Amino acid sequence: MWKISSGVFLGWTLGANDSANIFGTGVSTGTVKYRTAILLTAVFVLAGSILEGGKCMKTISGLSLILPMDAFCSTLAAAITMAILTCFALPASTSQAIIGAVIGAGMVSGSADFSQLYKIISCWIFTPISGIVLGYLLHRLLGYILDRTVKSITYRNLLYSTGIIMAGCYGAYSLGSNNAANVTGVYVGSGMLSADMAALIGGISIAAGALTYSKKVMITIGKGIVPLDPFSAFVVVLAEAVTLHIFTQIGVPVSSSQAVVGSVVGVGFVGSLTTVSAKMLAKISLGWLLTPVCAGLLTYLMIRCITGSLVRGLFPVFG
Amino acid sequence: MFLKKLFSYGRQEQKVVNRINDHIKLLCVTCETFKSGFEKNDRSLLQKVIDLEREGDFIRREIVSEIYEGAFLPYLRPNLCKFVEIVDRVFDLLEDTSYNCIDMEIPEELKGECTQVAFLNIRICEMLLITFNAMLNGDPLREKTLAIRIYEKKIDDIKLGLKKDLRKIRIHNFWDGKILSEFISGLTMISDIIEDAGDYLHIISVSMK
Amino acid sequence: MNVQDIMTTRIECVDAESSVYDAVEKMVDKRIRSLVVKFPGKKINYGVITARDIVFKVFSKGMNPNDVKNSEIASKPVVCIDQGTDLIEAAKTMTNSNIARIFVCDGDNIIGVVALIDLMSAALIMRARGEDVP
Repeated sequence: MWKISSGVFLGWTLGANDSANIFGTGVSTGTVKYRTAILLTAVFVLAGSILEGGKCMKTISGLSLILPMDAFCSTLAAAITMAILTCFALPASTSQAIIGAVIGAGMVSGSADFSQLYKIISCWIFTPISGIVLGYLLHRLLGYILDRTVKSITYRNLLYSTGIIMAGCYGAYSLGSNNAANVTGVYVGSGMLSADMAALIGGISIAAGALTYSKKVMITIGKGIVPLDPFSAFVVVLAEAVTLHIFTQIGVPVSSSQAVVGSVVGVGFVGSLTTVSAKMLAKISLGWLLTPVCAGLLTYLMIRCITGSLVRGLFPVFG
Repeated sequence: MFLKKLFSYGRQEQKVVNRINDHIKLLCVTCETFKSGFEKNDRSLLQKVIDLEREGDFIRREIVSEIYEGAFLPYLRPNLCKFVEIVDRVFDLLEDTSYNCIDMEIPEELKGECTQVAFLNIRICEMLLITFNAMLNGDPLREKTLAIRIYEKKIDDIKLGLKKDLRKIRIHNFWDGKILSEFISGLTMISDIIEDAGDYLHIISVSMK
Repeated sequence: MNVQDIMTTRIECVDAESSVYDAVEKMVDKRIRSLVVKFPGKKINYGVITARDIVFKVFSKGMNPNDVKNSEIASKPVVCIDQGTDLIEAAKTMTNSNIARIFVCDGDNIIGVVALIDLMSAALIMRARGEDVP
């Protein structure tokens, strides 16, 4: 069972990083206290992973036939890739890393199923697009409704503060339901865990990350994003949550960071603001390319090393 | 803490709003007291203005502390506090103007127009109250802020004439001249500050949309 | 609201016998568009001279303002209303007389003037206050 430790570690880093996408703006603007934010994130991530976390497990486990050691190497490689790319300030997605890693493991055993990749890559591309569309539409629609129904400033204030918190809870739920598979899906494929157990462990590890190590990122992300008014902040989180939830139903784990970026862009379009530059787009595209490739390559090398076949290949004397 | 806030149904916010309302109403009363005191040359009424300023300070402190104890979104708090501070500046100006009025006899040639300015100050404060309530209800503020600007322009026109007349007044010593000049400046500056306050209400209204 | 609430009490005057140039100078200095013309010792004591009078009756005819007296182009008598007159009444009088400003009189003395812009501002203020604009 020690082999699931790398998955737990991956989940912990995911929780520490991605909870900023949910409550980052809320915490940095003071709408919700940090302690409240992480508690809510933990509770709802766990709820999401338990109730709907199994939906994406099939996609991950169906990509290749994985042995328990392969599962350990994949998740470890994904975690290392995330750490390295984050170091270089390139946007890295856990979903893309784990998919790349599993394919890498599959290439070692020759069991990689590339046919699934079309569906997965399409979902990656549609994640920010969906964020943009939902961000724009929700802003316009909800704005229209509010302008006609809630005019009092005190009621609006109450609505926004409640809205940001509720959207955050929904976002955490969606994160748990969509990303638990990233963390422990490989163990279902290798037969080490059942889908339910994997969802539970995945959820707990993500919740633990949010509870213990999310403060720095939460405050940095919140301050780094284009200053959002309370209504836009609420819409961004809601759009991100809906995006993730939609892809959960499709069964593909996607990046919450890219969903948030899309939502911010979509909301920016309402005010004719361009919040993303060509430079940022280039960085995101590079991240999309490098993440699965690096994770896949690293997994391939790790498995080869561990099984000794790489060493034997390079140094026939050990064969 | 979040649940407590959620189930309070905005009671804290309503308390702040009511106190700001009281603050502006008190300003109107203070302007009326000043005008009466100035017109009738009633020292006791002019002294009352000073007491009312102190009361205004008390209300302001209450409002600011209530805001920072958790009323309203953090996004909105600095704007609301700034608005209250601006209104408080008017109280301070009224207090100083009252002191100046108590301190020296205002020349007869200037009294007529000064009374008119004092009257318009009451009107502009009433307009500010109407604008604040309109903002709370989410009503458009355009007409209200225009009305404030109209009053401010009227007072500016009178101020121009007053300053020209002031130069014709014979002053017997530097301090009399200084006090008189400060009196006229103070009296005519009230409308400028209220115009700023009106603009701030517009900012608050827009920021919540 | 009546005219007393909105009138301008600062009235600028010129002598009937002084030149139009003096009137122009005063209007420019004081940034105003009309002056009361005083006819001392005459039965009708006051007239009014406006920027419109000066432009239409002097400049457009190529006349030298130094050579024209105020009494030659002033309108007499001035149209007056009582200080208690309501705004609608004042507006109607101005419409009927086709004038842009009307003087507020207390007996024979002019105590104020109400211009179109004053009426317009008053109407806007009444709207903003939620009072019925008559």
